Amino acid sequence: MHKIIMLLLVLFSSLLCEDEYDGTYQLGDGIQVASLPLYIGGYISTDYQKTDTITRYRVDDVAMLAYGDYSKISYMLEFEFKEFYTLQDSLNKRTITKDERLHTERLYIDYTLNDNFLFKFGKYNTPIGYWNLLPVNVLRATTSTPVSNTILYPTFSTGSEISYSSYLGEGSELKIDVILQKNDDLDSTYNNYVTDEHYGIGLKYSIDDISFKIDAGLFHDILDEREKRYYFLLSNRYENDNFQLTTEIGSQFSTEDVDTRYAGYSQLVYHVTDKNTAILRLESYKEKLVKKSVIRNDNIAIFGYTYRPLYPIAIKSEYQVHSKSKKNKFLFSFSVMF
Amino acid sequence: MFTSVLVASEYAVVANKNFKKISKADIKSIYLKKLSYMNDKKIVPINLSSRDKIRKSFEKKIFHMSFTRLKSYWTKQHYLGHRPPITMKSQKSVNLFIKKVDVSIGYMDVRNVDKNLKIIYRWSD
Repeated sequence: MHKIIMLLLVLFSSLLCEDEYDGTYQLGDGIQVASLPLYIGGYISTDYQKTDTITRYRVDDVAMLAYGDYSKISYMLEFEFKEFYTLQDSLNKRTITKDERLHTERLYIDYTLNDNFLFKFGKYNTPIGYWNLLPVNVLRATTSTPVSNTILYPTFSTGSEISYSSYLGEGSELKIDVILQKNDDLDSTYNNYVTDEHYGIGLKYSIDDISFKIDAGLFHDILDEREKRYYFLLSNRYENDNFQLTTEIGSQFSTEDVDTRYAGYSQLVYHVTDKNTAILRLESYKEKLVKKSVIRNDNIAIFGYTYRPLYPIAIKSEYQVHSKSKKNKFLFSFSVMF
Repeated sequence: MFTSVLVASEYAVVANKNFKKISKADIKSIYLKKLSYMNDKKIVPINLSSRDKIRKSFEKKIFHMSFTRLKSYWTKQHYLGHRPPITMKSQKSVNLFIKKVDVSIGYMDVRNVDKNLKIIYRWSD
């Protein structure tokens, strides 16, 4: 418990410090330590979930970020208490679980070679699609995460990444990411796959408020000794002051284990006012357990509403309607970025 | 009978003489740090303080983004380890900084632009 108190003290003390830019701290901006190339920040997330059979209260994320840059080198460290406290009532049985281990969420160094090339070494969010780049509760649109984000590809990679970006002028940009991993995960606890090998490539083209991405790759899950899995994902996003529309759809192939025929979603985020946002997300997926010939599929409609008194504070509610009505659920969360 | 004349304020985006010619869309990309390098040198965009009327005019003219959207953009960049442009309190400081630092870029009232700087873009309220 003392570790989390220390972490909270660091986070809240940041509120009392001054920002180096305007002399006033702004929530969600982080702070610079002295005049060092070191900025610190963090986020917390708590949530509530209610289904027909389960009621759950959770302190999910308590995380601290530290990053900075010097010349052509920059770094990022993110340490996190994940699912720190969970109280669950299920069929008249109450369980309380705690995970007080500090996890390494991200830990990497970037080296910028020139106008076009950047090399990354360490553990990082796999740069696939849009959702996976900003996966923390306070920054994403809803408390829940699309199924496609959790079943198609490893959400974290440990190894190196080569990024090529070319600014084409007039606000348009082409970016290519190459993922290279031939080693174990740095901290696999909350990676959706426990990988020891992952190669991927992604291409993104953006112009003004619209962008398109194509990602593909292969990885090996060490819990499945049999073979590699292959995936691809197509995605696009349009955004203006009033709304944001994001679509991601992909597939995962393998010959012996789970075969995800398709998984994807389309999400509309409509800004009712500066502080109020309505969200509609439609999801669908179909998986086949090849050896067992079992098919798992679902269609989900998610209706969400978010109030942000300030952008870095999110109070979210959502209701999920599943094609299998037993899975219907209500979620509520409170999250803050420092 | 009185005649009133409204004179629009005129502002300019300025850079060092060595800065290559860029468009309005390029200026937006530089200030959002989507375009960070020029000839292998890191571009240094400079903002005036957030309450400065020239900054408000600049953001309205160049970004075409609401305050909330811009704030959400920089909060997300904070998570990704990227910082917003540095801020200076006076136009005089911006002039001095740009004269000293090759690939820096700023904005100010056109009447205050140092003769050794290059005007890249002009706008008025």
